[in-house]
Amino acid sequence: MSGAPSLAQRAPSRNLVQFALRLREAGVVAFLVLLGLTFGLMNERFLTIQNLTIVASSAAILAIAACAQAVVLITRNLDVSVGSMMGLVAYLTADWAANHPAITPLEVALIALAIGAALGGVNGLLVAYGKAPALVATLGTMSLYRGFTYIYAHGQEVTSSRVPRWMLTSVDARIAGVPALVIVAIVVVAAVAWFLYAFPLGRRIYAVGSNPLAAWFFGLRAERVTLFAYMLCGVLSGVAGLLYAARVGTVTVVLASGWELSSLAAAVIGGVSVSGGSGTVVGAALGAVVLATIDNGLVLLHVAEFWRMFIQGAAIVAAVAVDALIAEAIRRAAGGRTGR
Amino acid sequence: MASQAKRQWPYWEIALVVAIFGAGAWSSTLSPYYLSIDQLFGSTRAFIIPGLLALGLAIVVSLGEIDISLASIVAVGTVALAKFSAAGAPLALAAPVVVLIGALCGTLNGLLVAKWRLPSLAVTLGAMGAYRGLAFIVGSEVGYTDFGDSYSWLGSEYLLGGVVPASLVLFAIAAIAVWFLMHRTVYGRRCFSIGLNRDAAWFAGVDVVSQKVIAYALAGAFAGLAAIVWIGQYGSARGDNADGSILFVVTAVVLGGVDINGGRGTISGVVLALFLLGTIRNGMGLANIGGPTQTVVLGGLLVAGVLRPVAVSAAARLTHPAKLKAAGAQGDDIGGQ
Repeated sequence: MSGAPSLAQRAPSRNLVQFALRLREAGVVAFLVLLGLTFGLMNERFLTIQNLTIVASSAAILAIAACAQAVVLITRNLDVSVGSMMGLVAYLTADWAANHPAITPLEVALIALAIGAALGGVNGLLVAYGKAPALVATLGTMSLYRGFTYIYAHGQEVTSSRVPRWMLTSVDARIAGVPALVIVAIVVVAAVAWFLYAFPLGRRIYAVGSNPLAAWFFGLRAERVTLFAYMLCGVLSGVAGLLYAARVGTVTVVLASGWELSSLAAAVIGGVSVSGGSGTVVGAALGAVVLATIDNGLVLLHVAEFWRMFIQGAAIVAAVAVDALIAEAIRRAAGGRTGR
Repeated sequence: MASQAKRQWPYWEIALVVAIFGAGAWSSTLSPYYLSIDQLFGSTRAFIIPGLLALGLAIVVSLGEIDISLASIVAVGTVALAKFSAAGAPLALAAPVVVLIGALCGTLNGLLVAKWRLPSLAVTLGAMGAYRGLAFIVGSEVGYTDFGDSYSWLGSEYLLGGVVPASLVLFAIAAIAVWFLMHRTVYGRRCFSIGLNRDAAWFAGVDVVSQKVIAYALAGAFAGLAAIVWIGQYGSARGDNADGSILFVVTAVVLGGVDINGGRGTISGVVLALFLLGTIRNGMGLANIGGPTQTVVLGGLLVAGVLRPVAVSAAARLTHPAKLKAAGAQGDDIGGQ
């Protein structure tokens, strides 16, 4: 008898959680629409196809980086070395391509992914098996990776004339009017979203982040899952770094510095919880679009650049506050059954 | 767990002292000027500003929280000082107000974290951008350099026959004050108890919210103090002041043996870590080792610092294999924050 009511109680709460999470992403979309309409009313150039294409392409790379950050955030960890991984992958790959002009696109992509996986793997080993706090471990590797980039570069940069021509033209290409960069970003984010949603390993990433103790009792090897999440983060950072390199052409050692924070900001605005277990990579990608929209709109409105920082910062705080409100509402509706 | 940790700390601090002397000995082989009193005291100025931030951050981290917006609060402080200086206000008025502004910024962080229970990393990430933006909005992009002598006194004056920097004396006073607060007062004990087990502390009647708000306010006030030192050292106030220095600050706190998850750590460890980092930087500067290599060394030290507990438990496992197994399963949390 005692089992039945608890089951009955649990079923609606699970629906409610799903509903609230869907609401969270719908909230980001609603905010985005509101933002777009506001900017559109204030400046007629904002809602043109041409300008929206610019917004989409500037959001594309950040969306992939935010996706990378989100995968790790979901495991209740954090990776502040995303920007440094992007920079190191971009430099090594561009340098390699510059010294081997006959290289094929597939080889370039494989090199970038392999380096990304290795760098992410180091982070994963430190956090999962070294039991190092994620913030501290990745803060260390952030300096290490950036420092290696400087040392390897010897004060040089890879100029756009040295990298293979196809690398530069392919990112500027348009397929049916849509920039290739945007298509790549959509494909990557969709693939990761599908993986996290439909594959056992993807579900385990959520399980480990939402309740590590329960995951342990269930028999999940949290270390392996965490290591995998970091490697995936590294691979995605590698993709983002390579695209960034191709987009700017000239690869310098400071490429993508500060992106660890932008990626974190995008993920948090998109509803990925820093306490793990909730949020989706689609949300993180939407968060990147929100940031790009704010950037673009403020430039069109001739608002000074530093207001952008202020608004971005305030947006992050507002986003976490909304998340906390939702979590509180879920907790109350579920009669204190969920949450901590 | 606690007693095991207690036995580790002195070892860590001794290791830091040994490392400082090692780094000093290495530095003295690089340059004949290293071992001059002027050089030794003068070089400490390089880490006074991150040092003040680290003292404040150590209080916050002892609670199991974090504040990465401190460097941005320094910028808010410096542009506020610029406004005061431009208005011709005396430092006696400007300095307390700037410290208060810092404390207010910190209090806002603290309220968001403690009262509304938002995750501190995300909140202070947002605050970092917001305060930095605020500093730019108030100060505009153009730097202000027209400071009077009284404003730059604290950061540029040398005391005791022109040898000891005034800012070092300030740092020493601040360090002793924070040490006393954290290790000799009820407030400090409660901070560590909250960091160890928030719920247990709450059940024991500790006012968790006000403890945390006070910690954030103190950290902000130290950032305001650092802003005054900044003006003396660099003579310029701009929105991008101290940008990026928070990494060095976090490195110092972690290397000093403060558990990033809260509950453990000593202020003496933080101060020693600052001296170690300062000595290494100074030595590498004398040896003409470039910034990138310095970055790699700092990153390597940080990684080595976080792997310390693993190394200790691995060593213990070799000697007592059975005892640690039970404890190891419990301490299996992978929580980052």
